[in-house]
Parts: sequence; C-alpha cells; structure tokens
Amino acid sequence: MTKRALLAAVLLLVLLPVAVGLGGTILPALSSEPWRELFATPGLARAITLTLFTGIASAVISLGLAHLLLAVYSARLARERLRAAMLPLLATPHLALAIGVALLLAPSGWLLRALSPWLTGFTQPPDWATIQDPWGLSLVLGLVLKETPFLVLALGSALTQVPSERLMLQARTLGYRPFKSWCVAVAPLLQRQIRLPFAAVVAFGLGNVDVAIALGPSNPPTLAILLWQWFTDPDLSRRALAAAGAVMLTGLTALALWALHALAARVRRLWLRHATSGRRHDSTVAATLFANSIGALLLATGLLALIALVLRSLARAWRFPEFLPRSIDMNSWSNALATLTPALEGSVGLALLTAFVALLVSLWAAETLRPLPQWRTRLAALLFVPLIVPQFGFLYGLQVALSALRIEGTWTAMLLTHLLFVLPYVFAFVVAAHTALDARLPIVARSLGASPTATFAKVTLPLLARTSLQALALGFAVSLALLLPSLFAGAGRFITFATEAAATMTSGSLRSAAVYGSAQALLPLLGFAAAALAGALVFRRRAGVPA
Amino acid sequence: MITALAAATPGVRAAEPAWSEWLRRARGQQVYFNVWAGDEAVNRYVTWTVAEVRRTFGIELVHVKINDVAEAVARVLAERAAGRDRDGTIDLLWLNGENFAALRQADLLYGPWADEVPNARWIDRAGNPTTVTDFTLPTAGYELAWGTSRFTLFYDSARIRTPPRDSAALLAWLRANPGRFTYPQPPQFHGTSFLKQLLLAEYTDRARFAAAVGGDFATLSAPLWRWLDAAHASMWRSGRNFPASGPAQRRLLGDGEVDWAVAFNSAEASRSIQSGEFPQSIRSVRFRAGALANSHFLGIPYNARSVAGAKVVANFLLSPAAQARKGDERYWGDATVLDIERLPAADRAAFAALRPGPATLPASGPGAGGVIDEPHPSWTIAIEREWLRRYRAG
Repeated sequence: MTKRALLAAVLLLVLLPVAVGLGGTILPALSSEPWRELFATPGLARAITLTLFTGIASAVISLGLAHLLLAVYSARLARERLRAAMLPLLATPHLALAIGVALLLAPSGWLLRALSPWLTGFTQPPDWATIQDPWGLSLVLGLVLKETPFLVLALGSALTQVPSERLMLQARTLGYRPFKSWCVAVAPLLQRQIRLPFAAVVAFGLGNVDVAIALGPSNPPTLAILLWQWFTDPDLSRRALAAAGAVMLTGLTALALWALHALAARVRRLWLRHATSGRRHDSTVAATLFANSIGALLLATGLLALIALVLRSLARAWRFPEFLPRSIDMNSWSNALATLTPALEGSVGLALLTAFVALLVSLWAAETLRPLPQWRTRLAALLFVPLIVPQFGFLYGLQVALSALRIEGTWTAMLLTHLLFVLPYVFAFVVAAHTALDARLPIVARSLGASPTATFAKVTLPLLARTSLQALALGFAVSLALLLPSLFAGAGRFITFATEAAATMTSGSLRSAAVYGSAQALLPLLGFAAAALAGALVFRRRAGVPA
Repeated sequence: MITALAAATPGVRAAEPAWSEWLRRARGQQVYFNVWAGDEAVNRYVTWTVAEVRRTFGIELVHVKINDVAEAVARVLAERAAGRDRDGTIDLLWLNGENFAALRQADLLYGPWADEVPNARWIDRAGNPTTVTDFTLPTAGYELAWGTSRFTLFYDSARIRTPPRDSAALLAWLRANPGRFTYPQPPQFHGTSFLKQLLLAEYTDRARFAAAVGGDFATLSAPLWRWLDAAHASMWRSGRNFPASGPAQRRLLGDGEVDWAVAFNSAEASRSIQSGEFPQSIRSVRFRAGALANSHFLGIPYNARSVAGAKVVANFLLSPAAQARKGDERYWGDATVLDIERLPAADRAAFAALRPGPATLPASGPGAGGVIDEPHPSWTIAIEREWLRRYRAG
C-alpha cells in the first residue's frame, strides 16, 4: 500500500507540473483574440512549414542512421565501441554543439578557412547561406548530430529487452546474411521498444530553441523561436498570443507524432514484404561502408565543431581566411570567470543534485517494481510525458504557477523542473541495467536469510554501482543542457551555463557564447570520465563481475 | 549667511540626511541588476561595478544578463499579473525608449527618484536634452540618465574610400557591391534604429514624428519602404536573412562577411580594432542629415526588493569617476551624460585624460554633427510591424 502511495507520489511529481503547466498555458489562449492575432502573424505559414519539415526530417534521418549504425555494429564489442565513439556527441549539450557547428560551417567558418584561399580563391567569405539557410537544412544537420547518438543509445538499451542473439541465430540458420538478419528479425522489435524516445526526439525537433537560435533561419524563424520572442515581449497581449502559439505547437507535435505513427505502420508492412521476399542476400558491404562514412562524418563534424568552439573562445584576432587565430588569450574566459562562478554553482550544483535525486528515485522504483514488470514499463512511459509534450506547451503555465507560489528562481523550483527532464533518462537507464541483472543472485541471497533491504544493499546495489555512476553522469549531462526549463523556472535569476550561452549567443557576443558553450560541453565529458574512472576503481577488485 | 543659503535651497538640506539614510539601508542588500549582455565591454564594466559597490557600500550587486531589455520588462509585467507587488525579482534595470514607455504606461516603475540622487546634479540637461526626454517622453524622475549615444555606421575604409552619407548614395554603393551590406533584423533595437535613421533623414521638418503615429503613417513612411524594396536584393543573403543583433552584425564585419555594421557607439569600433576583432581599416560615419540621438537610463521596478541598494548603485554609476571609466575605451567607451565643464577640476582631468581611438566620433558637442531626435515610441512599433508584414517571407 505504501509502495503504491510512494509510486503515486513519483507520478504526481512528474505529471502534476505538466498538467498544471498545460492548463496555465491553455487558459490565456481560450479567447479568440490571440488566435486571430496568431493567424495574422506575418510568415506564420512558412514558420509552420519550416518547423514541421526540420522537426520531422531530423527525427526520421536520425532514426534511420541510428538503426543503420546499430545494425552494422551489432556485435557486442563493436556496439561498445560505437557507444564510446558517440559519447562526445551525446554528452555535448544541444546549444553548445549548435554554436560549434555554426562556427564550423558559416561562410567565415573553419571549414571554408581550411580551403581558402588556396582552393576556393576566396580572400573574403562568400555570401553563401551555409548556416541559417531559409530551408532549415543546417538546422536539420545540427539536430541529426545530437539525436542520432541519442537514438543509438536508446536502441542499445532496448537490446536488453529483445532476445537479439536467438533471433539472429534463427535468421542466420534460415540462410539470411548477418545484416539482413538484423534488419528483418531484430530491428522491428527494437523499433517497438524505442517508440517513446523517438517521440521525444520528434517533440524536441519541433519545439527546440537550443539548436534553432544558432542554426535556424531568422526570417521567419521556426515556430519555437517565434514563441520565445513572444513570451519575452514587453507587450502583455503577446503573452496570450504566445500561449495560443504554444497550444498550436503542441497540436502540431501531436499531429506529427500521429502522422509518423501512421507512416510507421505502412513502413512495417513494406518491411515485412521485403523480409519475406525470400531473398537472403544483402548489401552488407555497401551498408557497412555507408554506416562507417556517416558515422565518421557525424563524429568528425561534432569534434571539429567542439574544437572550433573552444578556439573561438580563445581567439583574439582571427580574420578570414586565417586557419588559426593570429593570437589567442584567456580574456574571454577571465572576463567570464565572474559569471562562470555563479554559473558553476548554479549549473553544476543543480545538475549534481538533480542527477542524485533522480538516481535515488530510479533505484528505489526499479527495485520496488521488480515483481511488477508491467508497472515498471508503465511508469517508464509516464515519466516520458514531459519529454513528449513540447516544452513551450507547459513551461509557461508552470512558471505562472511557480511565481504564484513565490518559488520561481529558487533551488526548489529548479530542482523540480529539472527532475521532469532528467528522471525519464536516468530511470530508463537504471531500469535497463536492473532488468539485465541475473535475477538468481538476489534469490540466492534471500534464501540464505538476508532481508530484502540487506539483499538490495549488499547484492543488487554493488552490482549496479557502475550503472549508478553512469546514470549520475547522464543525469548531470541532461541537466546541464536544459535551456528553456532553466529560463522559465529560473526567472532569469538562476544562472546556468545554458542560460548564459543562449543570452550571449542571441545578443551576438559569439566569443562569450563560445566560452559558456565550451564550459557547458566540457563538463558533461568530465562527468562521464569521472564516472568511468570511479567505476574502474569500484570494480578494481571485482574482476569478472558483469556491469 | 549660511542659514540664508540653507533656507534658499531647502531641497539640498533635506536631501542630505535622507541620502545617508538610503546608504545605511543599502548596506548588506542584494541588488539584482538586469543588463543587456550583448557587449563584453559592458559585461566587464558591470563586473567592475560589482566589486566597487561591494567594497564601498557593502552592496551585493548581482549581474543578471539578458538578451533584450524587453525580457526584463516582460518579467515585471508577469509579476504584476501574478500579484507579486513586493519582493520582485529585478531591482535595477538598464533601459530606454519603448521599454521605458511600456513600464511607465503600466505604472510599473518606482519613483520619482532619479532627480534626487546626489550625482544627478552634474547631468548635462541643457546641453543634452536626451538625458531628460526619452524618445519624446519626459523621464520625470522615473529613470536616471546613464549614457548617451548617436547612431553610427561602421565601414571598412580599405574597401570604401568615400563612404556614402545619405540613402541615395548608400543605395548606389549597394548596387555596386552586392552582398556586402546588411542590418540587424527588426524588431531588434539596432535594426529598428537603422530604419528610423533612414526614414527621419528623409525629412527636414521632423515635428510630426514627435507626436503619436496616425493615419498618415503609410504616406510618411513610404520613402523608407521604397528604399528597402530597392535595396534588399543587393544585400547580404539577398535580404532574405538578417543578423540577429547589432553585435552579431559587428561579428560579420569582423569576419569580413560584410563591409558595414550599425551601432550607437562609435567607440565600439575603436575598441574592436584594439582587441583585434576589427581590422585597422574600420572607421565610423554618420548621415549628413544628422544622426539619431538618444540616452540610456537606469530604472527601478515598482516591486523592487532593494530600492535603497538600487539607488545607491545608480548614484555610484553616475559619479564622475564611474562615468570617466565608462568613457574610457579600454573599458567601455560610452559617452558621459555629465556636464564636464561644471565638474570639480580633478574630475574634469579624468575626462580630459581619455584618448579616443581612430574610429571614434564625438557623441555630443559641435564635432558630433547634426541631431535627429528619436520619434514618439509609437512610430517604432508601427515601423517594426510594417517591416515584419512586408519582409517576413510569407
């Protein structure tokens, strides 16, 4: 009974803010006036088309690439290598990576500097729309860079739920080549397992500000950027307009998810026909080549973007077409130090706290729900709700509620809001590892007379030590990356690397933005490195213990 | 004699103890200062201020960086909507123009206070009327002048020998050099200012623009749209995308993507040359017909938590020492609002010691060229609306 009550409390913690926030956003949008104003917005049709195109295209491309990469790297060892390679991209916050990509691909960016003037003949940057192009292609690229690794991770976790080895063996026995075996036997099952993370990717693609401010076009921008502008407009009537826009974005997201769901059914049927065509041969070589090139390209773009980001934060004079800055200094870093300190306290303290709370809740919920696997699945699904509802749809209403409670801008408000976004990731990660544990070990402990608590503390927890450390690093990374939740719940008083990077980016101070972006990008990497190191230390004397 | 003087100026005597009382109350207060964060020099200057007011007044000044002053205005409005009439999240705010108008209209500014802080007596009200009239609205003591500026264009003198100084010449240059000119996207402040500069320079009698916009908007603004319609095709990205802000465009100039940038402070160009962000060849120019002139101010929201601290910080920012440092291009290079001639000799010397860089034009006085007064704020809004309607690809 108390277990149920506690579980209900967890759900309340996550669902209540979303419900209240949605209500608070919908309320001002109930009259017809804001809608009339919304539909009279210049360029709205184009903004909607752009939003739908970039959101859906980036999600579908990322999904395809993630499947391809996992299919090619399906062997356990190869998968580990893939995951390690994807980690830098995964750990880098959207905003930081987007700023880096802008610095790499802009007409005056690093790529064209590398080729100029010896190859291109340019002594001044050309007037090319390589970033912020009106079609949103650079925005799609920025999103794909971040979402592909995320979906690879999600697919990798889903593998624990799918008897992939048995399925592969059966398919191979029937004479299918390895790549095709994976495609027909394993991939469709995996896809069923990652519907929620995929929905989160679609929702983020449609509603993000993080990537669109650096790489998206500005005239008109995506709907999310318009919403951001309206929510911060001094004209009060714009709030109702923004709320109506947020409701529209939520509707568009629902529509896109429905359309993709319908499309998926059709793709499944085609896939089935392909699978049962009787052809056993596949194009393993071509697929491997393609996957390798794409993987390398993504990774190289991401890493070069990160280097460009750090370089720009150090560069003093860096005229086109110089490949490297003429002089570098730490001015921007030392100037930023004064604000980096509060940002460090804010961002890092908050991220650690959030990750820790999320880990405790997840461990406890995973253990409590061990006998009830269907509940566990249901909980995981419900926890994903804040990731699937567009952030704009409920964050504004939530801010109004927090403000009425007089807690906006406080640690409590920040922790509660960040948990909404961190908990689903940490829980999914912990549950996957918890499920994969050898179920016989706790049974043996219990049969030897250990209490459930002692069993959990002495058997399960040590086995989950490495997972817990990684989950902490994951939660830490997710929290550090959060932009809109920090802005809305922080009331501008809570300084994080994300809010500082966005503030300096939109106001045009690229070098400062690069400083905050670099800090925001390096910290999660440090987090994962620390987790790996601590894991190695913990397991130093436990050779052979699976983790 | 002394009694007679005191009787003749009762305000001075009454203000003296009151100010020490403000100083006493300010000690230990936390002051949330919301500042537009687009300029590293400004950020650095505020960082310096944080240390100074902590040392001198025991005030903990918290530097809140914002993209757009409108965000802070929106927050005050949201707090009013949520019934948070005390303990607001902003204590001190850097603002002017439409943001001041919006807050005053909703009666969301504390005051009048600005004429009572001790250093307000040095303000050059007569020589620089923009310090008391903010985009045609009287400040009426609800905001304190902090700095003053004139609309300026930066250009690369290595590419442009004689810079165009009116719209016709600029258009001719654009056509000869396609893709090398742009302006920040309205409704961003610098972008809208460029539009206002273009429009107002077309008229010699600008009295109509001091009053609210009316039914004659279409007729009066027609020259602006004609010019833009003709010019956009020859601009950067063919006029389909624009830099997000003034600083964003300055970066484009620094990176060589364009040959022009717009700004309100010509010292920024000298500073950027000094820091290596601009090549040595960047210079400033103003329109022959005159330059849009305005001042920027400090305001205190009606629900500020630390009014005393905010006043003390504002008064410090207006002190000759703080103003001279602000005028120094090594730190910021923003023109002072004080009447330097009236200052004590030691303070005058601090201003006389300032060494403007090669791209700096005077911000006030005879060398600064003609002045175009800011139009009534309703013009700003009308121009922004019309720009979006016309040029946001639909």
